Amino acid sequence: MNKRIWLAGAGVIAVVLVARGAWSSGGAVDFNRDIRPIFNKKCVSCHGGVRQQADLSLLFREDALKPAKSGKRPIVPGDPDASEMVRRITHPDPHDRMPKGRDPLSADEIAAIKRWIKQGALWEPHWAYVKPVAAPWPAVSDPAWPRTDLDRFVLARLDREGLTPSPAASCPVLARRASLDLIGLPPALERIDQLCADRDPKAYERFIDELLASPRFGERWATMWLDLARYADSQGYEKDPSRSIWKFRDWVVQAFNRGMPFDRFTVEQLAGDLLPNPTEDQLTATAFHRNTMTNDEGGTDDEEHRTAAVIDRVNTTFVVWQGTSMGCAQCHGHPYDPFRHQDYYRAFAYFNNTADWDQTNDHPVLPSFPADKDREGRALYAVIRGLKARAESLTAAPAIQTARREWETRLMVPAVAGKLKDTWQNEVLRIARTPEADRDGEQKMMLDWVYAEVTDDPALAAIRKERDQTWSRINKLAPALTPVMEELPSGRRRRTHVFERGNFLVHGAEVEPGVPASIGPRPAGLEPNRLGLARWLVHPDNPLTGRVIVNRFWEQLFGVGLVETSEDFGTQGTPPSNQALLDWLAVQFTTTDQWRIKSLLKDVVLSATYRQSSVTTPALTERDPQNRLLARGPRYRLTAEQIRDQALAVGGLLSDRMLGPSVMPPQPDGVWQRPYSGEVWKTATDQDRFRRALYTLWKRTAPYPAMLTFDSPSREFCVSRRIRTNTPLQALVTLNDPAFLEAAAALARRMADSGGPADVDQALGRGYRLALLQVPDQASLAALRTLYQAALAHYRAHPGDGDSLGGVAGVGPEQAALTVVANAIMNLDQFVTKE
Amino acid sequence: MPEEHDFEGQSLAHVTRRHFLEAGATGIGATALATLLGCDTPRGTPVPGIARNLLDPLSPLAPHFPPKAKRVIYLHMAGAPSQLELFDYKPVLARLNGQLCPESLMKGKRFAFIRGIPKMLGPQAPFNQYGESRAWVSDHLPHFSRIVDDVAFLKAMRTDQFNHAPAQLLVHTGSPRIGRPSIGAWVTYGLGSENQNLPAFVVLLSGGVGPDAGASVYGSGFLPSVYQGVQCRSSGDPVLFLSDPKGLPRDLRRKSLDAINALNQREHEAAQDPEILTRIAQYEMAFRMQLSVPEAMDIEKEPASVHEMYGTTPGTTSFANNCLLARRLAERGVRFVQLFHWGWDSHGASASEALNKGFFDRCKETDRAIAALVTDLKQRGLLDETLIVWGGEFGRTPMQENRSGADNPFIGRDHNAGAFTMWLAGGGIKPGVTHGETDEIGYEGISGQTDVNDLHATMLRLLGFNHERLVYRFQGRDFRLTDVSGKPIREIIA
Repeated sequence: MNKRIWLAGAGVIAVVLVARGAWSSGGAVDFNRDIRPIFNKKCVSCHGGVRQQADLSLLFREDALKPAKSGKRPIVPGDPDASEMVRRITHPDPHDRMPKGRDPLSADEIAAIKRWIKQGALWEPHWAYVKPVAAPWPAVSDPAWPRTDLDRFVLARLDREGLTPSPAASCPVLARRASLDLIGLPPALERIDQLCADRDPKAYERFIDELLASPRFGERWATMWLDLARYADSQGYEKDPSRSIWKFRDWVVQAFNRGMPFDRFTVEQLAGDLLPNPTEDQLTATAFHRNTMTNDEGGTDDEEHRTAAVIDRVNTTFVVWQGTSMGCAQCHGHPYDPFRHQDYYRAFAYFNNTADWDQTNDHPVLPSFPADKDREGRALYAVIRGLKARAESLTAAPAIQTARREWETRLMVPAVAGKLKDTWQNEVLRIARTPEADRDGEQKMMLDWVYAEVTDDPALAAIRKERDQTWSRINKLAPALTPVMEELPSGRRRRTHVFERGNFLVHGAEVEPGVPASIGPRPAGLEPNRLGLARWLVHPDNPLTGRVIVNRFWEQLFGVGLVETSEDFGTQGTPPSNQALLDWLAVQFTTTDQWRIKSLLKDVVLSATYRQSSVTTPALTERDPQNRLLARGPRYRLTAEQIRDQALAVGGLLSDRMLGPSVMPPQPDGVWQRPYSGEVWKTATDQDRFRRALYTLWKRTAPYPAMLTFDSPSREFCVSRRIRTNTPLQALVTLNDPAFLEAAAALARRMADSGGPADVDQALGRGYRLALLQVPDQASLAALRTLYQAALAHYRAHPGDGDSLGGVAGVGPEQAALTVVANAIMNLDQFVTKE
Repeated sequence: MPEEHDFEGQSLAHVTRRHFLEAGATGIGATALATLLGCDTPRGTPVPGIARNLLDPLSPLAPHFPPKAKRVIYLHMAGAPSQLELFDYKPVLARLNGQLCPESLMKGKRFAFIRGIPKMLGPQAPFNQYGESRAWVSDHLPHFSRIVDDVAFLKAMRTDQFNHAPAQLLVHTGSPRIGRPSIGAWVTYGLGSENQNLPAFVVLLSGGVGPDAGASVYGSGFLPSVYQGVQCRSSGDPVLFLSDPKGLPRDLRRKSLDAINALNQREHEAAQDPEILTRIAQYEMAFRMQLSVPEAMDIEKEPASVHEMYGTTPGTTSFANNCLLARRLAERGVRFVQLFHWGWDSHGASASEALNKGFFDRCKETDRAIAALVTDLKQRGLLDETLIVWGGEFGRTPMQENRSGADNPFIGRDHNAGAFTMWLAGGGIKPGVTHGETDEIGYEGISGQTDVNDLHATMLRLLGFNHERLVYRFQGRDFRLTDVSGKPIREIIA
């Protein structure tokens, strides 16, 4: 491989690029390969989307070709000598030479730029913005190795690198891997025994089908999706009060379990409310974007935080579905990707017309009631709707409108404004200062609504009273009030403006909803609202969604995506390790598989690539430390959720109760210490202690400590990719957390069941097999026996210690000693690792 | 067909996956490591700016140039104390007390709570000048007034955030949004730790609640989580899950670790994944932390004179105890000690949040201990190499808060992003100086204005870093604590 090395100032190797001789041979210059990296590294920090020194930006061809501030043309296609850029990068005087104040470009870089200009200075779109096509199967060295089509692309790549695939993993190792990957739990020992004795070549596929059909499947994949959805059971920020949004979590679990195609999964979450006659399930799905934070801190500005929530919805949508850091274009043009400042606010306009407004009650909500209260609850909620409609029609009456105008003029008196909730005041005063004719529909509605809340008018006051009474009757029925998206009706819509420098108070040009031109035009016939946006995302012409989503699933199975920066497919993200494979998978997923996730996953786990052993060698580790070439199987530490769930499962404690409100398993005292909050952690006493981790109550400012230690995010914002770490605090959790001790004691009981404590080796071997699904070798067994005997001697001498460890009196020294061994087994690298 | 691109030079997960292999470690794991860490062991990708090998993420590292400070103790007064009742003496404001605020001062401003036209509020404390530097200090801080010649004041700090959570994030991570590494994370990433048996970055909380923005203010952001602050507690387990389970004595724990390590060694022989060796090292470090953390956190054995000096009571959770712990941790080579003391949000909406009640209590809880910390470090010869930073997240208004347009029940001030006071002492700070000046009512700076980026640049400079070169590549871009601005404040550097 012909590599060119760029040296950074400090002499550290910063970037290695594959050049394949383009610069020295005089061949065709490839903009993406040869030129864009130079611009991104050396030029765009001053001539990009943020700063456009001398009025020059190198992100778009049309901008780079027009005369700069000096009147000179930076780039004249076909004529390097007439191009000011060439003059400046080759200028002998360091004062005039670009990059300013930095080392000059290398001779090769200059030659490449000159040749590129000579060849017409063509701007090619970044690879990720060009629709993927499935390449024909490449030739491979060993036609017998591939089991599925994707294996051909992997093997072709290994062939080019001169590497060979690893042998297949053993049956128990592969079965455990697939089970952890597909349902987040290890398989039962009995199932492994049966599977590994089965000589039928279809046995593994049948096992996979079982996993895909398991109700545990949806729970496992929901944990991935909930990071992206920034799902949490609290509102965030200072007081971080609880929020009732678990029905959305349940919707995700069930959508995965039912095999909902990903295109529908997308549309229902982003715009379920805009579908014709939406079902309650489709409305619940829209809570995806109600997982934004609500700021209840005193003295905040509700409009500012409503805007912050909309910004989060834009950023999250583009990160999750497009692998695009649109957030960078919020204050200015994107620094290095081809997105203009306006593009951001055109996307913003899609999300800017929902009825939510940073209110502590999270309205609008979808109430759902316990079955026996459902009829009564629905009737009461119908009353609320009727009252709202009556209030609106009353407010529209001329007399009330006149009174409202008169009230507006008095609003400038602090004592009058002071009657409003403090977080409303800024926005209400801003609207009141805007002449009525200049207000948009939403602003008019807002003042009517606020006036209706404060007026002494007897009819409106009566409606308020009845509404409040009705709400208190509703609340007595203990409903789940799920925040959902609700579009403002026509005539009450907000206008969307560009926010200059990202400041919501400084309005630039007004914009209409639209998608960034760089990713492709919005196909004709799609609605200019969230539904149209959702349909654009899953449209066959969208170049990114298929790739981005396939990459996310690949990342979950292999530990690292084909594009490592799964959150960034832009020009500064890491390039794909195997683009032909990525594109083939994306096309397969969106066409043949019809967006069916189970089909995608099945294709991958049946592949020879996936079935490889993860055993490595020092040479392979040196060559490819992250296993991006896939010459072996994946080997990674389990996620926070898997670590907890596996411990409970192996101990036989795991509850199989699904769905419902979030639960509070034991956690240390003092974790919840929030300003201005009286909420307490009420530790569960029934099987809710042992539910799967995804049902644990997720408080944003004080997440469950054992999970946080294993790199789970706090879910304040969308986290595209968890970074795995390996720290001593993790060891302390699995060694000492009472929850893990409880699981160890339970495993010890299962070990003893195998034939009584007299047969020590059998009990130890069974514990090892229950946890790791493999038979221990003699040396491992001997190490466990040594530990067992030391522990037994201790607990014989100190029976009280044994009682403490087991949590109950009279467990006996043998059982206590087995608990110590079980605790050790549950701390083995192999146990916390998917191998 | 598109060809594959090269990716080897840009890998991210690789550099963040491998941590904590200690050259000098003891125990089974380390012995094996020393023999296994041959020259063909993969190393982390070089990170521009500093030569951090992420296989060994907390080993001590030399910064860009010789440092003046080796460690930091950061005292954050959460809620934002009023500069006008502590350090920024404004006699003119006293004369304006009770007058309506001129409208010109309100124009273009957004306040958290002030509505309409508030009244001006004079200083709620007598002030005097102290020391050779003749620094103004209010009567609320009798102990601090004796150490004024050791500190440098920044009187014209400013921020652009006026709600607590985002302002605290800005002060600690350089960004008002969640997701960036905190100062402590950057510093431990850049310098490692001098004590491998204690967490490198320790967080101590007092005042009953944590910081408004939660653990993100001492988080590691996009840096590997090994650099996040570890909260240590003065009651219960000093670090969560530190104690062995009841009924599992330490010698048995040792034997249990021996078994775990032996099996992990066999696993490494079979699977050859270097991550397994890292895990062995982590378990050994956890075992050592189980002794060293409680030892460091136990203030009971400190002599009575020390308790008298700090005002400490062993067995309780208090800011004073945390100051004494900060000294003990500094002595033991902990790189960054972050204290948060909550309760400075003196709006006047309630007694505990009033300049004429709760504020007195906060001063009493902190004054003696802070003076003791500075004096104690000085007596032990540690002040020269320990940087102490004191401050809140913004300042308070010269106007009296009139929440909802009416007078508040107690005396208080609203949030003011325009001006606040911070002070620094020790490690490379020029003692006895004041930099920056506010207008005659303490509303905004008029000279020597500094912001959070400048503070961070100064701290990093004292620790030996060029703040523009302490960078970490994330999402395709080099990030730094000071983002795109910041200048070391030379006026306060010795």
